[in-house]
Amino acid sequence: MVSRWMYISLVILYGFLLGPFVIIFMASFGANATMAFPPQGFTLDWFARVFETSQFVDSFWISLQLALLSTIVSLVMGMPVAYALVRFQFAASGLVETVFSAPILVPGLVIGFAMLNFFVLLGKMPVMTGLFIGHTAILFPYSVRVISASLRNLDPYVEDAAVSLGANRLRGFLLVVLPNMQAGIAAAFVLGFITSFNNVPVSLFLSGPGVTTLPVSMLSYMEYYFDPTIAALSTLLVAFTVVLVQTAERVLGLSQFV
Amino acid sequence: MPHLEIHNLTVSYEKNQPTLEQFSLDVEQGELLSLLGPSGCGKTTTLRSVAGFIRPDAGQILINDRDYTQLPPNRRDIGLVFQSYALFPHLTVFNNVAFGLRMRRIPKKEIHDRVTNALEMVGLDAFTKRRPAQLSGGQQQRVALARATVIEPQVLLLDEPLSNLDAKLRVDMRQEIRRLQQQLGITTLYVTHDQVEAMSISDRVVVMNQGKIEQIGTPESIFAAPETVFVADFMGFDNHFNAAVVSVQDRKLTVDWGGAPIELRWRSKFGSPQRGARAEIFFRADNASLLAGPEASGLVGQVILHTFHGNELRYLVETEIGEFSIMQDSASERFEPGAAVTVQPQPQKWIAIFEETEPYA
Repeated sequence: MVSRWMYISLVILYGFLLGPFVIIFMASFGANATMAFPPQGFTLDWFARVFETSQFVDSFWISLQLALLSTIVSLVMGMPVAYALVRFQFAASGLVETVFSAPILVPGLVIGFAMLNFFVLLGKMPVMTGLFIGHTAILFPYSVRVISASLRNLDPYVEDAAVSLGANRLRGFLLVVLPNMQAGIAAAFVLGFITSFNNVPVSLFLSGPGVTTLPVSMLSYMEYYFDPTIAALSTLLVAFTVVLVQTAERVLGLSQFV
Repeated sequence: MPHLEIHNLTVSYEKNQPTLEQFSLDVEQGELLSLLGPSGCGKTTTLRSVAGFIRPDAGQILINDRDYTQLPPNRRDIGLVFQSYALFPHLTVFNNVAFGLRMRRIPKKEIHDRVTNALEMVGLDAFTKRRPAQLSGGQQQRVALARATVIEPQVLLLDEPLSNLDAKLRVDMRQEIRRLQQQLGITTLYVTHDQVEAMSISDRVVVMNQGKIEQIGTPESIFAAPETVFVADFMGFDNHFNAAVVSVQDRKLTVDWGGAPIELRWRSKFGSPQRGARAEIFFRADNASLLAGPEASGLVGQVILHTFHGNELRYLVETEIGEFSIMQDSASERFEPGAAVTVQPQPQKWIAIFEETEPYA
């Protein structure tokens, strides 16, 4: 009896989770001029439309640049922090850890709104700079967490071993610690990239005229049009993310860090 | 001239709470010396100071008469073996062992020969291409040994190298380490909390307690003649009791044992004990035996329980001067709980220790 109820609730759960996506997926191939379900006819026109809409193409490149740049910078900043948190016990280490995870705990809309006030209205910053700083800030705690996890798996004495064998501290780090952080860094990269690429709340506030990220331009597109282009684009994005995550899982074993 | 000299080393992690205080020690060329003590006694701190990972507050470390105290750890020429082995997980066995030689910019050909030779010595020449994760604990420990000795260091330091191995493997590796150390003739400091390990492997043993040396000596001398209560306790003297000194000769003293006088050796830091002083007397469970029934002379007691240890039975016996733990051959006559017995001493193996100023009284 228990197992049958569990089975049924599992089906319901997955139905709720995957159902909407199935509808979007099917609608993206439909021939109707507005989004409809069940779709009638079959066409790939909406996919072609995605690539013809300059709004989407431009914002895709902006999202891509933004995701790459902010992920890399958050990794470079996160590495020493993760290293310090794992290797050294200091008086305020608990406090530091909490402060560094604040962007995970504070709602995205609040961060976005705060940054709008600070960077754009007060700081008069260019839109791209504001977006870059905002995204780096929300990715930073993820970098710290994932890299810390990979460092915690490494015996702290390997560095001492390298030093006792004649390497100075820097070489010890480069030759022994860094190679063992590779998988963690790569995992943090994939996670960071996806988080930035899909982010709406922070981007919503920090986007400006002519500089918009893909998710935000999708939102504004839907305010005016309700054709299946948006469904086609959603399908493409889901495929993109699934491929990225699956590759990372196969190559790096992503799930052991998250 | 000793090969490694430690002079008045003082290390404190917290103010006014030295982990090591005025610690001095000489290690001869080719000697294996163990630092033995409970956790927190300062043995690992001593080791890490010699390796250069700890800057002492005061004191000096000399190797071959050269002052090493201010030298950074990567320029000390010291081989270090860790409890966790600390192998480099991303490198093969060969590259793990070659690491120190590459740091020294040794020519490729020579690296190959020396690494191969070192791996042969520990019996791992067939495993050069494996990663550490593909090896057993004992094999990893051998790689760690090869890695530390291939650089031909001045001094080899081993920090609890066998603690992560199971009991049987530990005995094998003990012999392996000793054989390698003697083959290479390398001056070695060996840190352990296991007295059996220290006894079996060392030329000399240093028993440490609270940052100070309690006793230095050969394993035999420390085993037979502990100088302090702490050492007696740590060396497995299971029993102790307090008795008044009846008379003192040159090297022996006499105390009362259930109405009969017994003669035993004594140790004191404060000169000869006096008649009437209280002696703290220690003996091992196998240095006394049990006789059935109360004897005319000797200490009478009652068996409380016995536990089985293979070839031996260990009895807990209650007497008027305390409870004693006594081992008997399990083939000999068995005494059940409640039985009256006489405790027969072997006082030539017992020892009286005076630590307080009492012997002057």
